[in-house]
Amino acid sequence: MALSGEQSEAEVLLELKDIDMRFGKVNALAGVSLKIRKGEIHSVIGPNGAGKTVMMNCINGLYRPQKGDVFFKGQRINHLRPYQRAGLGMARTFQKVEVFGGMTVLDNIRLGRHVHFKSGVLSGAWYMGKTKREEIEHRQFIEEEIIDLLEIEQIRNKPVGMLPYGLQKRVELGRALALEPDLLILDEPLAGLNLEEVEDMARFILDINEEERWRVTCLLVEHDMGVVMDLSDRIFVLNFGNMIMDGTPEEVQNNPEVIKAYLGEEELYATRG
Amino acid sequence: MSTTWLPCGQYHQSYAEDHSWWQTRFIKGKMILLFVILFVVIPLFADSYGLSICNQIGYTILGALGVQLLIGYCGQITLGHAAFLAVGAYTSTLLVLEFPWPAVLVHWGLAYPISIIAAAFVAGVWSVLFGLPSARVKGFYLILTTMAAQFITVDFILTQYVSQIGGRGQAFSLPPGTIRVGPWVIDSDLKVYFMMIVLVILAVAVLANLLRSKVGRAWVAIRDNDISAEVMGINVVKYKLLAFFVAGFIGGIAGAFWISNLAAISPEHFPWFWSLWLVGVILIGGVGSIHGTIFGSIFMVVVIEALQLAILPLADIYPKLLMDFLFIKEGTFGLAICAFMIFEPNGLAYRWWQMKNYFNLWPFSY
Repeated sequence: MALSGEQSEAEVLLELKDIDMRFGKVNALAGVSLKIRKGEIHSVIGPNGAGKTVMMNCINGLYRPQKGDVFFKGQRINHLRPYQRAGLGMARTFQKVEVFGGMTVLDNIRLGRHVHFKSGVLSGAWYMGKTKREEIEHRQFIEEEIIDLLEIEQIRNKPVGMLPYGLQKRVELGRALALEPDLLILDEPLAGLNLEEVEDMARFILDINEEERWRVTCLLVEHDMGVVMDLSDRIFVLNFGNMIMDGTPEEVQNNPEVIKAYLGEEELYATRG
Repeated sequence: MSTTWLPCGQYHQSYAEDHSWWQTRFIKGKMILLFVILFVVIPLFADSYGLSICNQIGYTILGALGVQLLIGYCGQITLGHAAFLAVGAYTSTLLVLEFPWPAVLVHWGLAYPISIIAAAFVAGVWSVLFGLPSARVKGFYLILTTMAAQFITVDFILTQYVSQIGGRGQAFSLPPGTIRVGPWVIDSDLKVYFMMIVLVILAVAVLANLLRSKVGRAWVAIRDNDISAEVMGINVVKYKLLAFFVAGFIGGIAGAFWISNLAAISPEHFPWFWSLWLVGVILIGGVGSIHGTIFGSIFMVVVIEALQLAILPLADIYPKLLMDFLFIKEGTFGLAICAFMIFEPNGLAYRWWQMKNYFNLWPFSY
């Protein structure tokens, strides 16, 4: 385990402290610690089965680790349910797309704004006045900020289940963005995309990380080493539940242990393009 | 919304237009025509038999809307919805018959309307009670827990205990004149019809509005993918229970409305088969569509009535047909569901949608 490189002085957004996650006798995560600072793109890499997705599930509350603490914005959030964590400003996309197939693209993204809608059941049933104003306000935001950014104008009224995989991934990103999150967890956003779609997606990730409008801190899980090395500010390497190192892309590339565990298998993890 | 086909050259210029129900003048005209038919043409020209069929359809719609909400929109399969209709009907009956109403309310004919609202709330809460297992179980297991609602409510509580109130035993009779709404005594099919049409329109409007606002989207999200719904900030348990409440609420209104059409009410009006029937209605009409609920209700009621009419002349030749009509009815029900599942799994609502598209795009449908 090596912690090196100058870590920026920005405020810590998310902190994992000594997370232990076991399933029976399988130690999926063993004493993992991680600090993500505001504004970073922080990647997590590791071979298949290393525990990356388990780690993401621990962060957004789908799993409860047996040991260790999760801090978000300085607040201990171990006891919070996933929907409460979403309310704090944590959004995520999934490795296999988990969109709402029966809803239109627009409704999927609107649903992402769920935590920002204030109107209740009664005013929803009546729909005039408050609810209507609110719906239109949010519609404007969605159209002008998200649909425009992700370039999905022409499919906004299509049911998501009928779209090709690449577009579904894009809609899922849009849905997560609609939450206006502070931390965006991207679990393999590039898996299964073709080269052009990969380039688009990488551009979107950079956009939402760097543009003044968004400034979203990203936690990226990805296998495509070329993209990871290019996008990331820091990289966290995981191997069978153990943290190998956390450092800048250059350090990771030169670390013999990482090369042995992961990068060395050139045939398997060769980058695209 | 906004999936409406707009005629060439017509564009929306604001989001409000895109969010409205009736987006073109043609659609507005169609809807006004529909209202004229519902409020003027049918009451003027239909005879008592026709009106009674309409009332039957309305009752089925009110009952099936709750099932549609639970199964079609929230993905919580329920097979005990008749229980909540029964709770509504019994609450309303007991309130009207036994509650010491102040003379003023009785004088103004408010006892029954108030009892409908009370019945809706009681049925809603009762429904939430049986929706609680949905926090833990899904799919087939939930079907069993909702069936428990049916057997506990109707076969046990209502039959064994509630029916004993007042020492009547089996049924509560509703003497003529007890059901009053304002100045009108509900004693004819026409008056029941007007009450039905108002309640159905209200229920459909409320449900449709809910479905295009925050609550409805959360329900559909839970149906499509409950894990990512939770990750996107939806309190899944809360919204499931809310769905059960609203479904029970509408069911309560349906039950409370139906007593206006009955001379007496007994647990036999709410058998388990009626719960199954309501699920059949939405399967035939189309799961996940309010149109489907309405089309399914019309289809089921009309087909059964037509069957009855067709069998009457045959009964002269083969009298046993009349005796066995219940079996014929249930057989038809099963056959209709099988046929729809095989040939039109998306239900009548999908056919309706296809027809509309055909005419909207005609003659160049590409």
